Amino acid sequence: MKKRKINHAIWIIVMALASLIMLFPIIMMISTSFQSMAEIQSATLHLLPERLSLDYYIEAMSTGNWGLYFKNSLIVTLTAVLFSLLFNSIAGFAFARLTFRGSRVMFLLLMVGLMMPAQVTMLPTFLIMARFPLMGGNSLLGQGGTGLINTYAGLIIPLVSGSYGVFLCKQFYENFPHSLDEAAQIDGCDKWRTYFAIYLPNSKAILATLGLLKAVAVWNDYLWPLVMTNSDEMRTVQLALTMFNTESGIQWNLMMAATVLVALPLFILFLCAQKYFVQGIVTSGLK
Amino acid sequence: MKHAMQKQRPKKKYDNCAYAMIFPAYFVFTLFVLVPIIFVLYYSLTDYNLYSAPTFVGLKNYVNLFDDSDFLTAIRNTLFYTVFTLFPQLAIGLFVAVLLYRKSRLLPLFRIAFYMPNVMSMVCISMIWLWIYNPSYGVLNAILKLFGFSTHQWLQDPNMAMFCIILMSIWKSCGYSMVIFLSGLTSIPSSLYEAASLDGASAFRSFFAITWPMLRPTTFFLLVTGVVNSFSVFEQVNIMTNGGPLKTTTTIVHQIYRRAFLEFKMGYASSMSVILLFLCILITALLFKYGSGENDTDLS
Repeated sequence: MKKRKINHAIWIIVMALASLIMLFPIIMMISTSFQSMAEIQSATLHLLPERLSLDYYIEAMSTGNWGLYFKNSLIVTLTAVLFSLLFNSIAGFAFARLTFRGSRVMFLLLMVGLMMPAQVTMLPTFLIMARFPLMGGNSLLGQGGTGLINTYAGLIIPLVSGSYGVFLCKQFYENFPHSLDEAAQIDGCDKWRTYFAIYLPNSKAILATLGLLKAVAVWNDYLWPLVMTNSDEMRTVQLALTMFNTESGIQWNLMMAATVLVALPLFILFLCAQKYFVQGIVTSGLK
Repeated sequence: MKHAMQKQRPKKKYDNCAYAMIFPAYFVFTLFVLVPIIFVLYYSLTDYNLYSAPTFVGLKNYVNLFDDSDFLTAIRNTLFYTVFTLFPQLAIGLFVAVLLYRKSRLLPLFRIAFYMPNVMSMVCISMIWLWIYNPSYGVLNAILKLFGFSTHQWLQDPNMAMFCIILMSIWKSCGYSMVIFLSGLTSIPSSLYEAASLDGASAFRSFFAITWPMLRPTTFFLLVTGVVNSFSVFEQVNIMTNGGPLKTTTTIVHQIYRRAFLEFKMGYASSMSVILLFLCILITALLFKYGSGENDTDLS
């Protein structure tokens, strides 16, 4: 019995040390965000700042239009999450519960999206956006203007599709009892009402999971906004963050303060909804 | 009887509203995944600079690719990155998961610590590690100095830069593998371990006899998704080294990005995208052929 207790204590110490090593870069990020450049550039290593003040956070946020960048990221993330949840869950419902010609083939085709890195189609997707008819001064044939470049629509629409979301929703709905559908049918519900009145309200778990995964992916996305936008007004937080990485004289404290602020929303989301996160990672991992 | 059932089937009512239900998701999917695949194949056979219409040039782009030393370096770097990121990341993830797997109230806390880096964006992480690797007053050199080791140029050193990026990527993603392995472990019935310990098997032995084979589907899944992810490595390279020094960190997607959006060689960049797609399909197919075959026997 005593041996087990000692074992457990050793386990706790080892895991705590390992966790500390894992968290070390994050701790250094937070610590550096409170240090003055003199502290940072001094010869000795400063693990902790000499004083705590939000000065560098305020200064970092005034280096650019940060209010706007956060607004852009928030709009893009929320819209993409909302539409992808709605579109993917209703499609998942149709594939799971309805019989229609070609459903198998269409579903398999959809799964192509799971196997392929998005970077493969980034180029033509950009061209489709740039040549989008009747948008951004484009003619009906997509000539003349800038299309959907530098617009919210251009940033959001390609992110709405999600083979993965349809797949997970289908799996989820297939486990619903069939008696639900029969009861709905007896009550005279058509398929739309069945989805909106019965399935949708009962899919909070899968929607929370999917929504979180999507929110993290969209908020953290760098390549697509980099390709799709070139104006300051359309910058997302991730793009704005890279502005601190200048050729010379990087203000490390400001850069780390901004990094903390960009990562903070997801840290909070993760800590609050850890249960759904882990569930999401696990369902995504093990089907 | 069977025949009669089959005949009746076509009479079964089809839910035509299903097409309307899948339409939004399918429309976006078609427009931004299926159509682009066809386009990228077509553009790869053309010269296209965005300003004039594409002109058909046959396989010229592909022929040029094999003379393009930057691209060949990028393929080599990407493969190197994939191998040296993926395997250590899986090994660490598995090791930590096995260590961590215990009934303890502290488990969720440790799990958070290990998963934390994975919640952050690659941009945030690149920023942190730019600071850690900074040669003049970065944390890494400061720690090395503290213990009396020699300091290095890290990201500015052609022999080191790729390893620096790899180390950072392992740090970010090992928590992800750990969480997946951890959930794989929970699905192994504990009766197997009890039987093994009754037979006097050591912890070491029961790992290789029970844990490792039972986790095979999990490992396989992580391997397949990991390959596709690693092949598209871009962000950290673009932010931290921009492919340098001396092209030692440039990758396939980094080359695609540079050719397409900085040099506007859309046709040429498309042919690179096709190669990337082809490589992903090839490796995934190989993994499925040689990696998953034993799953069934192990699970039965």
